[in-house]
Amino acid sequence: MIKGPVLTIENLRTYFYSKSKQAFIRSVDGVNLEIDKGKTLGIVGESGSGKSITAMSVMGLISAPPGVIIGKIRLSTESIQKNLLQGLKDYVRINMSTGRIMEIYKDNVGWQKNIDRIMYKIRGREISMIFQNPKISMNPFITIGSQITESIMLNTTIKNRSKAKERALYWLEQVKIDSPRLRYNNNPHGLSGGMCQRAMIAMALSSEPSLLIADEPTTGLDATIQSKIVNLLAELKSTVGVTTMLISHDINVIRELSDQVAVMYGGTVLEHGPAKDVLSAGYEYKHPYTAALLASIPNEQHIREKGYLQAIKGDVLDTINIPGGCRFHDRCEMITNKIKERCENHEPDLKDISANHKVRCWLYYDS
Amino acid sequence: MKLSSIRPVAFLISKELVIAALLLLGVSFVIFIILFLSPGDPFGVMLKGQMISGSAKAGVREALSMSSAWYSQYLSWLVNMLHGDFGTSTRTGLPVLSEVIRVGINTLYLTIGSMLVTLFLAVPIAIFSARRGMTVFNWTSTIFTYVVSALPVFWLGYIVIYISIHQFGLFPLAFGSGSQKIDWLNFMLPVFVLGIGNGTISEVVRYLREEMERVFSEDYIRTARAKGASIWKHSFKEGFLIPITEIVASKIPFILGGAVVVEQVFNWPGMGRMAWQAAQDRDYPLIMGITLLAAIIVRLGSLIQRVVHIMVNPRASQE
Repeated sequence: MIKGPVLTIENLRTYFYSKSKQAFIRSVDGVNLEIDKGKTLGIVGESGSGKSITAMSVMGLISAPPGVIIGKIRLSTESIQKNLLQGLKDYVRINMSTGRIMEIYKDNVGWQKNIDRIMYKIRGREISMIFQNPKISMNPFITIGSQITESIMLNTTIKNRSKAKERALYWLEQVKIDSPRLRYNNNPHGLSGGMCQRAMIAMALSSEPSLLIADEPTTGLDATIQSKIVNLLAELKSTVGVTTMLISHDINVIRELSDQVAVMYGGTVLEHGPAKDVLSAGYEYKHPYTAALLASIPNEQHIREKGYLQAIKGDVLDTINIPGGCRFHDRCEMITNKIKERCENHEPDLKDISANHKVRCWLYYDS
Repeated sequence: MKLSSIRPVAFLISKELVIAALLLLGVSFVIFIILFLSPGDPFGVMLKGQMISGSAKAGVREALSMSSAWYSQYLSWLVNMLHGDFGTSTRTGLPVLSEVIRVGINTLYLTIGSMLVTLFLAVPIAIFSARRGMTVFNWTSTIFTYVVSALPVFWLGYIVIYISIHQFGLFPLAFGSGSQKIDWLNFMLPVFVLGIGNGTISEVVRYLREEMERVFSEDYIRTARAKGASIWKHSFKEGFLIPITEIVASKIPFILGGAVVVEQVFNWPGMGRMAWQAAQDRDYPLIMGITLLAAIIVRLGSLIQRVVHIMVNPRASQE
């Protein structure tokens, strides 16, 4: 038996280079995450907070330079325990001056070759992924059935085509697609968005992965379909019980499905803790950003009390020019004179404030 | 194969056949008008060096029972053509249909062979540069294709002939000379010259590379990578099969045009050379026959492209 979290991400940094602005976009800038076996970690945050890029970095699917430059992604499942970025440090040279990254040299071809070699047995087999926009994320030229069968034959011990087909039909049934035998021969464009997303979930689960990454699985679907997909995911969570990293900007989806929640902002994790604490309005020890996020959800109580929906003031952090100090300080409403100086000049670390609950905020440093 | 996947193809083919028939009618009409308006006529050529008086010409005309009105000429040609009679060459007296088929097959050897040469050079360059980006090798080979495409095909042909006759002493240098069996070198030289000189190689590289790059960045290729599948398998249909049939079909007219020149240069007994000769001789029935065959080949190319597109792309069959 393995102990500890299935996936541990430490200080992951994924940058891109903007030619027009002559600067690095720090999409993921020091992310730390942990996912325990059998649990669902929800990652929530605004657009551009680095949620999806984190997931793509884990899968080694970043192709734009420089991409992942530093960090540790430790996967420990029954068949594999390793750092997915093992030995890749040699391909990157970072020029730092006064704490700022000035230049990054990266041998992208060598890196890509190595990451493909490392991920060869992991993509699909150990980690599989659900994307948003299922209609363009599944191959429009191949029937959904043979795409699922292909995944089964590649990633499980079933190598016989007819047996794999039986298994694919089983998974289509698991995701509640009506008349799976008919749908098996449909191309993605012949299915509705919701059906297609179900097929995609079936494809991801069919390889029986140790970790499932669901990147915005409900985005781009109708509201009624969204809730059906969420119900399906909740049901699969109890029947299949796969460890999941769920990425969404929709707090309600995260609340419904997650055991643990990480709140991301500006390429880093601001809060990481049990879902019931992080996402409950009553719990007082939380990051001001999380509080603001929760207050901005359309909610009967908010509207009745204040008469309007509350938006977080200011704009999403510009990840090219990340300010010194806390990333959220210029939008923060809980900033006090006592800690103001620290907020503006020093970035706090993730600090344990109770068991399994970490917050990156000066409010919880007592001094 | 199920009926549902054949039905759109059958529908397409029947529609295309109707369009092709109308198109051929139009082509024959336009060519006929051009021939009628152009100076000279077969009788002038026939009587060259003999009596050129108007009365002699009229006599020949009458002997061949040829009416003078253009519409009755065209209609009689059309009616005969629909009965399978394309007339006889005014120069050689041989039936046009069998002559055109005989040279048409030779031209098909030349054009298909040269297209294969083009693809053989262009496809690897396109695939490498789509996958690996612009490395030094890809950059130089792309430049090479552009330079090669800019070479005039007749110039390239004469250079090759000059080198092979004067440097290697190969003579006679003509396909089909001597015995009837194909002389491989005489076959390969024109094919090779037309293959790299027809000016399409750079366009094939560019189009195929752009399409592959586009498909490689599609979301479904990302999904294929995420499940550990081969991206070649998943990108084959949209990234290779469709663009290659599209570009080949659209380049058939250029290759036929290049074939006219290459057949002249290499004395290749094909359609192009015969068309050239027929134009010199004002051999109207032969010109009509060759033009129709060329139009059929071009139309057939685009039909094959459409059929491939519909069979490969399930979305297209529903449109």
